[in-house]
Amino acid sequence: MSNAATPRSSLFIKYFSTLFAAAVIPLLIAGGSEAWFGYHDQRARLNDLLDAEARLAAEKIADFIDGIRDQLGWTVQLSWSDNPGDRRRLDALRLLRQAPAVESLSLVDAAGKERLFVSRIGLNRIEGGDDHSAKPAVIGARSDRTWFGPVTFQDGSEPFMTIAIAGTRAAAGVAVAEVNLKFIWEVVSGIRVGHTGEAFVLDRPGRLVAHPDIGLVLQADETAQKPLQILRAAILTRSGQAAAGQDMAGNMVMAAMAPIPGLDWSVIVTQPLAEAFGPIYTALWRTGVLLIAGAALAAILAYWMTQRMVGPIRLLEDGVARIGAGQFEHRINLATSDEFERLATRFNEMATELSVSQERSERINRLKRFLAPQVAELIERSGDDRVLDGRRVEVVAVFCDLRGFTAFSVRAEPETVIRVLREYYDALETVVSDHGATLINFFGDGAMILFNAPVSCVDPAFRAVGMASAMQKSMQGLLAGWRALDDRLGFGVGLAMGPATVGRIGSQGRLHYTAIGNVVNLASRLCSSAEDSEILIDRVAADAIGAGIPLVELDPRTLKGFDQPVPVFTVATDLAARSTI
Amino acid sequence: MHSVPRALAETTDGLRRRDLIALTGAAAAWIVPARAQVMPVIGYLGSESPERYSSRLSAFRDGLAQSGYAEGRNVAIEFRWAQGQYSRLPSLAKDLVNSNVAVMVAPGGAEVALAAKSSTTTIPIVFEMGGDPIALGVVDSLSRPGGNLTGVSSLSVEVSRKRLEFMREVRPGTKVFAVAINPASPTSASQLKNLHVAADSLGLNLVVLKASTEPEFEGMFVAVHEVQAGGLVFSSDPYFAYRSQQLAALASRRGVPTITQSRDFPLAGGLMSYGGDFHQSHHHTGIYAGRILKGEKPSNLPVQRVTKVELFINLNAASALNIAFPSSLLSSADQVIE
Repeated sequence: MSNAATPRSSLFIKYFSTLFAAAVIPLLIAGGSEAWFGYHDQRARLNDLLDAEARLAAEKIADFIDGIRDQLGWTVQLSWSDNPGDRRRLDALRLLRQAPAVESLSLVDAAGKERLFVSRIGLNRIEGGDDHSAKPAVIGARSDRTWFGPVTFQDGSEPFMTIAIAGTRAAAGVAVAEVNLKFIWEVVSGIRVGHTGEAFVLDRPGRLVAHPDIGLVLQADETAQKPLQILRAAILTRSGQAAAGQDMAGNMVMAAMAPIPGLDWSVIVTQPLAEAFGPIYTALWRTGVLLIAGAALAAILAYWMTQRMVGPIRLLEDGVARIGAGQFEHRINLATSDEFERLATRFNEMATELSVSQERSERINRLKRFLAPQVAELIERSGDDRVLDGRRVEVVAVFCDLRGFTAFSVRAEPETVIRVLREYYDALETVVSDHGATLINFFGDGAMILFNAPVSCVDPAFRAVGMASAMQKSMQGLLAGWRALDDRLGFGVGLAMGPATVGRIGSQGRLHYTAIGNVVNLASRLCSSAEDSEILIDRVAADAIGAGIPLVELDPRTLKGFDQPVPVFTVATDLAARSTI
Repeated sequence: MHSVPRALAETTDGLRRRDLIALTGAAAAWIVPARAQVMPVIGYLGSESPERYSSRLSAFRDGLAQSGYAEGRNVAIEFRWAQGQYSRLPSLAKDLVNSNVAVMVAPGGAEVALAAKSSTTTIPIVFEMGGDPIALGVVDSLSRPGGNLTGVSSLSVEVSRKRLEFMREVRPGTKVFAVAINPASPTSASQLKNLHVAADSLGLNLVVLKASTEPEFEGMFVAVHEVQAGGLVFSSDPYFAYRSQQLAALASRRGVPTITQSRDFPLAGGLMSYGGDFHQSHHHTGIYAGRILKGEKPSNLPVQRVTKVELFINLNAASALNIAFPSSLLSSADQVIE
């Protein structure tokens, strides 16, 4: 059974896919939208954060530069003409003390002559007198008040820049300071973007001026700094929005930029992508874990539900198989108090019905053997076979047999005898069946037929005569054929009406329905007495027919077992027909 | 139907087994390196004794700690001390190379750096010196040192001339000054040349006094008086620097206005000092040693220059010498000891 009906798909898989879809699709949608919106929110937040950090860093560095510029401003407030040189020298030395980034300072008077030079490394000069008027720093400061020189790398390593500032009056001259930019490191390294983000400074050509890893600045390696320039270009193309790119180590970072006013420098703040989008990665991880958990839950639920379904189903399957195999007494015991139990109850009821109906059909099949099909069907429909119970009833008994058959059977070949008998029985059965009579049995070449029992009918005598006529007609047709085999064959019918005891008789194995009474004997004797193609009818039947069928009374006949001659009638047409032969 | 739960059971079994394997693997990965990990060893080459180096050593250890290393916890330091006998440095360096140290630290001047450099071309070296590492042939470039060494330099050597300038400010009436030179130092020639140039531009005359051993120190201070010099200017040299206490004692005993490179000198009672901040330079040396231990290549670490130059003044010594400091110097001083 299991081999024949191996299912292509199992309940488990169906449940699993349904539950999986129910659990996972919402999760996927939620996770996907969370990631999507999270990404956009994070991107916007990051943009704001990095932008703010960059501006803050730019401000800090601008403050650093402004601090130096302000210090320099002190030295060019007074005119050279009304200010003694010694006082200036003290101011300059104090400036070196105050501004550690300033390595050296020269003060130039209105004519462009160097009046004072102080340095941390080199020797100080007073009234050096060199002409500095053609130096870009002096020219620049004179035209713009403040001048920032390009970044230079001393010994190819240390970043320096010249800052020059002119006094409000030309007579105050110009202060030119060499500033060691390594000091910006303190500013830059103090900037932390998130946990691992950093800030660095590029000058206008894109050289690294300040970086938390001072070594990168000191290396002054322009090839290695190329990614930073690309990063800056990327931010510029995004019109100031944070952009993704690579830092010098090749890590992917988000970067934003702010210019340092007056210097043409850019402060770029970066945050590693991994950190910047950390919350999104976390969300994706969470969704992934939930997906796995959802799938596992779906599998467990599917397994549990399948197990819950499979037990009852197997019980039902087994029960149905047994009932199908004919064990109608089998009952399916299910107490799941759900649809399964209801189904089991239905199956049990079905088994009961099947058993009742099988009993009945067995009984009816037995009845069919001796009842006319119509009668059998009637009993079958009513489902009641009490009509077969023994009782006394007015019946019409009809007997018929073949004339000269015994002699024929001796002479003829057995096959011929059997064939003739079969044709004979077939013809008789057809006629009996057509007239709703009960064929009680065949005995050799004879047959007994009963009317009004077990099923009562209207006008049994009339019907019996009609049937007898039909029999004769049918048999005469057959006899016409058989006479070629033996011209002494003939067919006679006798019928009588009267009370008889009818009912089932017989043992367990052999059951018969029959009629017992004088009327049966009479009919049998009348049959024996009848000649070929003759129908002999007793008085009771003839009286019952009345004028329905024209009958002719023949001479009373002496019949075996009857003390007095019995009045006998025959059908008028038959008589006429026979007379013509 | 029944095969499904069994398959499920097998899956969970499999997962469990795999988890177990992963866990075991992780545990093994966690244990094995810990067992296999031998503490990296720093070879520390010192020109003097641990006592003379003590302030430098603590600065070095600070820097090392900033890189995440602490002696005894995750790094071991093997010391070799030349006890002032600089000729022993090359053999001590070789000794460290033979001990197969992970990185050699060679602080305290060009002699140490050069001894370390000649001992190995493979073991990374971090030097610390006051002179110009390019001029002294230690490295070819500051930004890209190349080879197996990098380090920290200060401006101590370069600012020798500033000491002369300061001394002149303290003793404005004098034209003759004595200069102390250690002829054994590789920077002595260049410093002397610089000092002469400076003296010329300042209009001063120099008397050069030489000393390369402790016994010669006293003679120098005696000679200052003999030549009637206004003061004694020490050139930058580690041998002098590590003997600041001795020099300070001699200077005050002999009543000689003296300036040296190391802050230890005024702190010990000397008049004043002008030179690079050795605390910073040794601190950076420690940071670099740590970074190299972490796997960075010395050739990728540019030579750092400590740009800070500090002026220390001891007013007690000044009053003992009957010297009045000009306000320009006092205002420039990083620290004034009163």
